[in-house]
Amino acid sequence: MSELLAYIDPGSGSLIIQVVIASIIAIPIFFRSQISRLSRTIRGPKEEPTPVDDVASRD
Amino acid sequence: MTSPPATESPAVERDPGSWRDPGGFVYRRDGVLYRQIGPSAIDDWTAFVASGLAERLIADGRLIGHDDAPLADAATDDARAVIRPRPIEFVSYPYEWTFGELQDAALLTLDIQRAALDAGWTLKDASAYNVQFRDARPVFIDSLSFEPHEDGTPWVAYRQFCEQFLAPLALMARRDIRLAALLRANPDGVPLDLAASLLPWRTRLDLGLLSHLHLHASSQRRHAADDDDGQSAKSARISRQRLTGLIGNLRSTVAKLRWSPGGTEWADYADHTSYSDAATVAKERLVRAAVERVAGERIWDLGANTGRYSRIAAETGRRVLAWDVDPAAAERTYRGVRSEGRGDILPLVLDLANPSPGIGWAGTERRSLLERADPDGILALALVHHLAIGRNVPLPMVVDLFARLAPWAIVEFVPKDDVMVRRLLATRRDVFPDYTLDGFRAAATTRFEVVSEEPIEDSPRTLLVLRRR
Repeated sequence: MSELLAYIDPGSGSLIIQVVIASIIAIPIFFRSQISRLSRTIRGPKEEPTPVDDVASRD
Repeated sequence: MTSPPATESPAVERDPGSWRDPGGFVYRRDGVLYRQIGPSAIDDWTAFVASGLAERLIADGRLIGHDDAPLADAATDDARAVIRPRPIEFVSYPYEWTFGELQDAALLTLDIQRAALDAGWTLKDASAYNVQFRDARPVFIDSLSFEPHEDGTPWVAYRQFCEQFLAPLALMARRDIRLAALLRANPDGVPLDLAASLLPWRTRLDLGLLSHLHLHASSQRRHAADDDDGQSAKSARISRQRLTGLIGNLRSTVAKLRWSPGGTEWADYADHTSYSDAATVAKERLVRAAVERVAGERIWDLGANTGRYSRIAAETGRRVLAWDVDPAAAERTYRGVRSEGRGDILPLVLDLANPSPGIGWAGTERRSLLERADPDGILALALVHHLAIGRNVPLPMVVDLFARLAPWAIVEFVPKDDVMVRRLLATRRDVFPDYTLDGFRAAATTRFEVVSEEPIEDSPRTLLVLRRR
């Protein structure tokens, strides 16, 4: 593992907090992806519209 | 692994600041700068050079370039590779940088870490001393800082980055710009618990500072006494995707820190001089002619303010270091230079009455300013009265320092009847009987020959061009 080979002291607290912060940062990203999945489920997929609702969905 | 101690060639002069990483070091031989790569780092180095990442970073100017050198140029016989890094014109240190320079150096480090992660690499250190300024833009100089990233491992240099960049930047932006001085006092970086205790409480409302600084400091405190042989640290796993998110968040935390120059001593000085328009034109003309006399292209403008005369010196084809005691003035110059995209003026912060000492191991790891000083000429425009009257430095000592710095000195002498000196003397006893043009000339001629001496039209001031004896 590279932290064992590090020539500077990475610090236990500094390694552990990265995992915590990265998880917190990931929460809104996770929710955003869930919300867009949910909206896709409700409104149907945007990417591959059928010819009919392609016309209908355009404003 | 045991191996006989490496023998060192006698012509080698090791860089006093290059010994922390056992993978290699920087040295000079016959004045030429080299970096050698040792047995423990050779595999990573070979892979890094072949990876395409090195080439990309060098091509876009973020990483210093190098040429391969023969093993015969190595400093010790255990070398596995030798390179000649492109030299840096003037080595400056983080405690001499303006806020914007330290911030740009921090962003460069994070952008490199991001690019490295994308390519499966990581920075094994994130020291601010790994960044230098070349053509007034930051460049990463430690080509040996890269190692392959094993997916799942956190960033080993995260702590170092926060201590060397984030903490001082946050303190400068959110508490007081003068806390840049902590960088000089702590060459290994500002301890996070110290930064957390000095920062205003409301910095906890900034999610970035809360996480990377305050919570980070608490986590360090909580785990400092862990007695589990590093087990909890070893079990800290983080996917590359999440690590990339963390670096992005750290980047926006750094980028969001703002400090606007102003409200300090000198930033508005240029707008508040005693100069008439005619005098300004006359001074510019005299300074230009004086700079053109200097043999050599390196000019140090001591007391550059916002760089008006640094620009004039640069227009004559000189390379200028624009020093000023005021971080706001230097920051303004930096922003101007950066937005104009010019590389011939580098603004830096200096108190000439207290220049950077040698610091770090043996007091030589980061060299003193005087040891690094090698200008061909100095500009000391409207500066002597600040030293002689503002700081009580006797004129012969001012002249001695000028003579130590450079073979040419261009000095604007401001007499006592000038409004700026009257202001300095307004609230104190005049204990400076020698502070006259004659007194200055007498002091100057002990070390210099007066090449020219011309009154500045429409002002009581005089411009002297001095050449060291």
